[in-house]
Amino acid sequence: MNSYPAELLVQLAPVMFVAGLDPAVLPTSTSNTPQSPGQSQSPPPTPTKHDPFQSLIARLRDVLQSQRKAAIWAPERTRSFQMILVDRNVRFPPRKLVSPEDPAYSTAHSPLSPLTPSSPLYPDGLIAPIWIRKHTALLPSVFVLFLRLFEPPPVHTRSPLDTPDPDYEREKAEEERRRDAELSAEVAARKKTTNERGIKLTVVLLASRRMLDDPSLDSRLTFIRRQSGLDSRAALFVLSPVSTSELHDFARSLQDALYEPAVEYYTLHSKRVRRKRNRHSQAVSSYNSPLAPVGAASARPLRPEGWTVRYEYKMACFAEFRGEDEVALKHYQDAYTKLMIMFGSTAILPPRTKRWAEAKVLADAINAKISKLYLYNREHSLALSHHNSHMRRFADFSRGWGIGEETFEYWSWMARQHRVLAELLEQGSQSSLTFPTNTPPSRSMSPAGTSVELDTVRALGLNPSHALQHPGHYYYMAARCTESRRERFLASEGTSQGASAAPGYTNEKKVDHLSLILELYTKSYEVFKKYNSTTSQGRLTLWIAYRIAHTYYESEKFDVAIRFFERIAKTYRREKWNDMLRPLLSTWYSCAQKLGDVELMVTLLVEMIGHAQDHDESKSLQDDLLAVLNSSVPSSAGEPLVVDLKESEPLLDTILVFWTPEVRVGEEAAFQLSLAAPTSIDLSALPVASVTITFSNGYYPVVLRHSPSTDDEAAYQNVRLVKIGKVTSEDEDEEPEEIGADLRWRPGERLVVSGSISSAAPGPLTVVSIGVVLAQSDWVIEIPHEPGVSHGISTLVPRWLTSIHPIRFLQRGRNDCSSVVVRHHPHELAASFSHQAPALLDEEYPIIIDVTNMDERHLDIAVDVLLQPTEVDEASQYIIFDDQRSSGLIKGIRFGMIAPGVSATKTLYLVGSGAPGDRMIDVSIQSTSVQAVTKDDDNAEHPRSSTSSAHAAVDACEKLQTIVIPMSRALSVTYDVAYKRSKNAMPPLADLSTVEDDVWDDSYGGVAIIAARIECSAPCALLIESLKLRRQDNSLAKVLDSSSDEESDGIFLDEYLPGDEFCDVSRISLSPQEEQVLAEEKIPGPGDYEVVWRRVLPGGGRGRQSTTRFALPTLMLPRDGLIALLDVPSTAKLHVPTPVQLTVRNRHPFRSANVTITLDLDPSDAFIVAGLRNGRLPILLPGSEERLSWNLIPVECGHVKVPRIKVMDVRHATPPSQGAGVPNTDVDVEGEVIMVVDVRADWRTTSAQNAGENSVAITQQDGVNENIHPTATGNAAKTVAEHEAKQDLVFYSGWFCPFNQRVWISLEEKGIPYQYKEVNPYKKEKHFLDINPKGLVPAIEYQGKALYESVILCEFLEDAYPDYKPHLLPTDPFERAHARLWIDHTTKAIIPAWHRLLQGQTKEQQDAARQELYVAQGKLAQQVKGPYFAGEEFGLVDVANAPWVAREYILAEHRGYDNAQVGNGWSEYVERLATRESVAKTTSEVDKLQVIYDRYLRDEAQSEAAKAIRAGRVIP
Amino acid sequence: MPPPLRLNAVAFISPQNHPILIRTFQKGDELKYHYVAHTSLDVIEERTNGPTKSNECYLGLLYTMDDIAAYGYITPLKVKIVLALPLTDSVVRDSEVVMVCPFLSLSTRPISDMDMRIDLQGPPSGLLSRLIEPLPPTLRYTSRRGERQVEVFQAESRRDK
Repeated sequence: MNSYPAELLVQLAPVMFVAGLDPAVLPTSTSNTPQSPGQSQSPPPTPTKHDPFQSLIARLRDVLQSQRKAAIWAPERTRSFQMILVDRNVRFPPRKLVSPEDPAYSTAHSPLSPLTPSSPLYPDGLIAPIWIRKHTALLPSVFVLFLRLFEPPPVHTRSPLDTPDPDYEREKAEEERRRDAELSAEVAARKKTTNERGIKLTVVLLASRRMLDDPSLDSRLTFIRRQSGLDSRAALFVLSPVSTSELHDFARSLQDALYEPAVEYYTLHSKRVRRKRNRHSQAVSSYNSPLAPVGAASARPLRPEGWTVRYEYKMACFAEFRGEDEVALKHYQDAYTKLMIMFGSTAILPPRTKRWAEAKVLADAINAKISKLYLYNREHSLALSHHNSHMRRFADFSRGWGIGEETFEYWSWMARQHRVLAELLEQGSQSSLTFPTNTPPSRSMSPAGTSVELDTVRALGLNPSHALQHPGHYYYMAARCTESRRERFLASEGTSQGASAAPGYTNEKKVDHLSLILELYTKSYEVFKKYNSTTSQGRLTLWIAYRIAHTYYESEKFDVAIRFFERIAKTYRREKWNDMLRPLLSTWYSCAQKLGDVELMVTLLVEMIGHAQDHDESKSLQDDLLAVLNSSVPSSAGEPLVVDLKESEPLLDTILVFWTPEVRVGEEAAFQLSLAAPTSIDLSALPVASVTITFSNGYYPVVLRHSPSTDDEAAYQNVRLVKIGKVTSEDEDEEPEEIGADLRWRPGERLVVSGSISSAAPGPLTVVSIGVVLAQSDWVIEIPHEPGVSHGISTLVPRWLTSIHPIRFLQRGRNDCSSVVVRHHPHELAASFSHQAPALLDEEYPIIIDVTNMDERHLDIAVDVLLQPTEVDEASQYIIFDDQRSSGLIKGIRFGMIAPGVSATKTLYLVGSGAPGDRMIDVSIQSTSVQAVTKDDDNAEHPRSSTSSAHAAVDACEKLQTIVIPMSRALSVTYDVAYKRSKNAMPPLADLSTVEDDVWDDSYGGVAIIAARIECSAPCALLIESLKLRRQDNSLAKVLDSSSDEESDGIFLDEYLPGDEFCDVSRISLSPQEEQVLAEEKIPGPGDYEVVWRRVLPGGGRGRQSTTRFALPTLMLPRDGLIALLDVPSTAKLHVPTPVQLTVRNRHPFRSANVTITLDLDPSDAFIVAGLRNGRLPILLPGSEERLSWNLIPVECGHVKVPRIKVMDVRHATPPSQGAGVPNTDVDVEGEVIMVVDVRADWRTTSAQNAGENSVAITQQDGVNENIHPTATGNAAKTVAEHEAKQDLVFYSGWFCPFNQRVWISLEEKGIPYQYKEVNPYKKEKHFLDINPKGLVPAIEYQGKALYESVILCEFLEDAYPDYKPHLLPTDPFERAHARLWIDHTTKAIIPAWHRLLQGQTKEQQDAARQELYVAQGKLAQQVKGPYFAGEEFGLVDVANAPWVAREYILAEHRGYDNAQVGNGWSEYVERLATRESVAKTTSEVDKLQVIYDRYLRDEAQSEAAKAIRAGRVIP
Repeated sequence: MPPPLRLNAVAFISPQNHPILIRTFQKGDELKYHYVAHTSLDVIEERTNGPTKSNECYLGLLYTMDDIAAYGYITPLKVKIVLALPLTDSVVRDSEVVMVCPFLSLSTRPISDMDMRIDLQGPPSGLLSRLIEPLPPTLRYTSRRGERQVEVFQAESRRDK
């Protein structure tokens, strides 16, 4: 800022003159007003006494002056004034040079006008800072005059009770009047001068608090106002001594009251200037004859453009005074634009003149003001844009003026611009200015749905040069420009020795560029540091610090520079920015050189050698190093100088390779340590004396000493091998000898140190460090290297030197070869598991775990057992091991210590229930060697504590084994349930007992008879010990009796072999309520069968007692409507009347029944009947019953028929309505015939199998496939996922089935929209069976109808979707038939052979099938036109074959099938089919498919195809 | 219409802040772009770890210095890309820079599985050449609306060491 006059930059504010607060003129009335002679009684003010007015004035001065500080950055508009304390008698500068009385007054101009010859601007100046100073310091907008109101001293002597002395009163009044008149005169005089200038005058009268209450005050004030001619508004204040805070309020209200007049004052000025400008611009057109001749520069008047600049600038200033930023900005811009026009012409502003220089300063200042005003408004980019264009324009102008980029003037000016901006921003940042972060708008930050907006924001973009940054950046730029300035200056100094080439040259000579640069960089550094966020590492500040260091270097302050370099290099080294480190090091080295710090020089030189780019550089650096070493002595002799290159580039690339990642205790681990010079660095001159290789603790370091190779040939080998043998442990007394080696490296040369190391204790082993020691004259320099450092990664690939003639390396594929882990020998353990598979459900199935110690050590064995969670539904399981019971993990079962050769056994019990299936048990056998503990405690503890990794130290092993135990049912149960209707009548409607809780009413339910057939399904013999029905009666059902209730001892005598059955029948009374029957509620079985059994072991022994429970099936009553029950005795005697009863029940929920009964007696009948023959029953309400009885008298012997009894429900049945118009005639039909049930044979049966399942469930098919994966996997799963949406076409498929895949491929190939539904063909769901009764997949549901059969479906798709391309069948009829022929061949010849091969269990079967398949496929292969069957197009023949082709790997893996044997190009055809996209998309993961085909391979599959193949039939 | 996007240099920086590759498209002054890349790391760290943390890959304008505007991009595997654009007085559309960045980051993909190794020094030479191959000297792409062709790299091809 100092580079510009402060007046041009400062923020303007209205000016207020404050007079009458001069401390010198103070205090009080005594000096203010002349002492009247008659005032003897008024006591002179005692200096000791504190005068309240004096302190009031002092405070006023402070308060008023603190109202506003002149500042450049002041964006707030608070109606505050710039207060200036002046003398009471201050005079304003004259308006014009001549006095107003002079006749020339009207034509005269202001003393500062270019038209006034004595003005500094005469004749063609624009605006001088003095003009602004005039308005900020010499001319106020408001004048505030502080005056002391006269107050007569209080009369102390008199008592308040006394009457006032009239004389004194009068005297006092006169005195007051006289003093007030004097005061008024003074004000009036001031008023006159201010009025001339249009300045508002305000008088503040200081009066004591007592005076304020004086009744005469008002009249006095009126008098003063009138006498002095003050305005009526805001012109007269009275202030009494008050506290500072109240003074602040006073100052505030004073400013508020006077702000408006002030604004008015400046507005008037503006108007005046605008008037002049307008007059002037009108005049311009009249004197359009431009310019006086250029030569007459001396008296050239200001040009019209200049006047415009002047007026606009003035108006801008006045607007700024008024606080109207917008207006000010506009005027400044206008002024600036005009100024640019002036600069554009050398005629108007000849370069390098005084006016030109002034104008430049003015332009810069206006630019700064414009930028500032924009910034006030937060229009950052406008501000920067103006600033940038200002610099660009002047850069262009400068070239025209001959001060382009090559001159220091140019750069000096540029630096100044950057600096002004930086300073402006810095000032701003101290108050209100904040800097944007320029972070792009983030998706996450903006709410959802605005990504479109985001895109538009991104599309709009930002001019990066308009992005406001913090002032540090601009200080930095200023510093950079100053650097350029210095450069140009030095250059011009070089070219023009002494000759004053440029006008500013002599001045420039005096400038201390370096300290200027330093100042700017330091400022920038500080600002950067301030704005540096805590998260970043301060790399930007480092960069500036680097520049600062460089500047220090230039200014030859080397010691300071070195401190900087040290700090900067740390970060650059750590982050491997070697390209930046290199120049830094060389400057640093120069500093060290200048300072003569030899050790630093050596250190730096060594590091620089590591960074060298090429041979020459490395050689010259080594020469330097040698020269330094030879010409100097180390400061501390004897101590080696350590140059740590840990963070930096190493001298030598080192790689440590161990042959194996692990070795056993005592074994030797072979290693190779390779020390190589990078190809770009020549280290041959480096005086390496020795290399020390230090291993992990406990070994003597290996020392290689330099011994120049005598053998020339060997010396020029690129790779040298040094064998060091076995590394000596420190346990041995003798220190190993040093080994001689050639320790000079030319570019790319490699020294391989090969040896071996062994350890008695487990733990990791590696090389800790490699010390390279240089020795020259008195110097010993040690450079530690780590193993595995390199200049580039490519050389870090671990390689093992296998041969030296020729040189051959073997790559080691491990990631980390640089260390070896020593471990104990593994324990020799044998574990066996013996059990009698399969396990049976509900049995404690013993698994005997036998562990044998085959090792030579004593082992402590502990076993963990984990029972894997089963995937089988409804299965539950647990294990028992050593009295612990768990459904998951049992840990730490100890087998105890086992001596070598001894074995230990424990039994693990597995109990599974629920459902059969495989159970998995993981067994982990952990062994710990107890050898160390038993031998010697001291020795045992030592290696444990010394090794770092504890796990390696403990000699422990773990052996894992998984046992899979198939589990099957021991017993399976089948229930046959029959329901008998109750003979009991229903309780009457109003029977209260029905609402009681414990009533048992079986009239609805009747009795269920359950026949349980329990079959021994175990693969081994069982011994049944007992069978018991455990009753669990519930509110709906109770067990009446059971055949097992009788004493069952001795019933189960023998062993039951697989397939043997035994039965039990039980009767269950059911008592459901009517509504429960109607809701078809299920009645839980009221108990379960408990079977106690033992397994018969192969040796004839008995297994543990096991208990299996089968719950009684869930019962469900069939619903009845109207029913007639006939109760006939089984036998009757001839001629003896036998009663027969018929009960008609109406079980319909809501309809009453009108029942007629007819007993037809046929002549052939063997009875004579006594009773009703034909009649109608009373109407049966729902839930009621009616009983009829007959007496039958048999007249014949033998089995005879009961007379036919016909029961009819007479209803006026409405014939099915056949549409409108048909008269709704009641057809009196006979009614419905009601079933007559003989209660003796009332069986309604269902059957159920196995406990836990619904009695209504249909018997399961054989070969239950619970284990197949339920859905498609892999690529096919993705395809399935894409077709889950509902479509017209539904494709029912089984993911694994090849026939399905045919249809699937067709769908995919043609791109037909379809919905994929997975059907487990082994567990078909009702819904699927409904639409496709045959239940086969693949099937298609198309418009509610179902189709099946793969080839038919493929052809159907072809026909039903003619618009979907490609067509899989040719259009030509012959070609079409030909294709079908070969599809038929595929179906009839290839696929059966394929499956026979798959399912064949004997070698003969397989061989035959394989041969058959080769032939069948060969025939087809002959017909293939290629690439596909019908040529270019993928067709239906290909579709028909593709699924099997995709599964060929199963045959290849298990059945010795090889498609190359087919010939005729079959294998290529296969490859094309299998990789076709539609095929790959529909093929599931191999391992899931494998599970399915394992069944086929074992020939256990139960699919229709598999059965057909087994039976030798054609595949359906 | 803003002028086509020009690129002075691209820098790839490893997650450990080591330089992977700094490629300049202008002769001389290679060192300057090293400094630009290095100092950019400050701003990148601030934007990715700072209080106004964002998960965007594109980090926008990092800063301008001298005659360079540095733009940043960070791949999901924390490989940082610094683009040095010449500071002309014209608008740079974020969308255009965004379009270039993923393209560049594609070329760093082979690095991702080498992350551990990069820790040491720099990419192996083979990798380096793979890295350079996908950067043709002049690359054209069609802007999203397909209205015009934008030249992304107009610079002379010069292979870095």
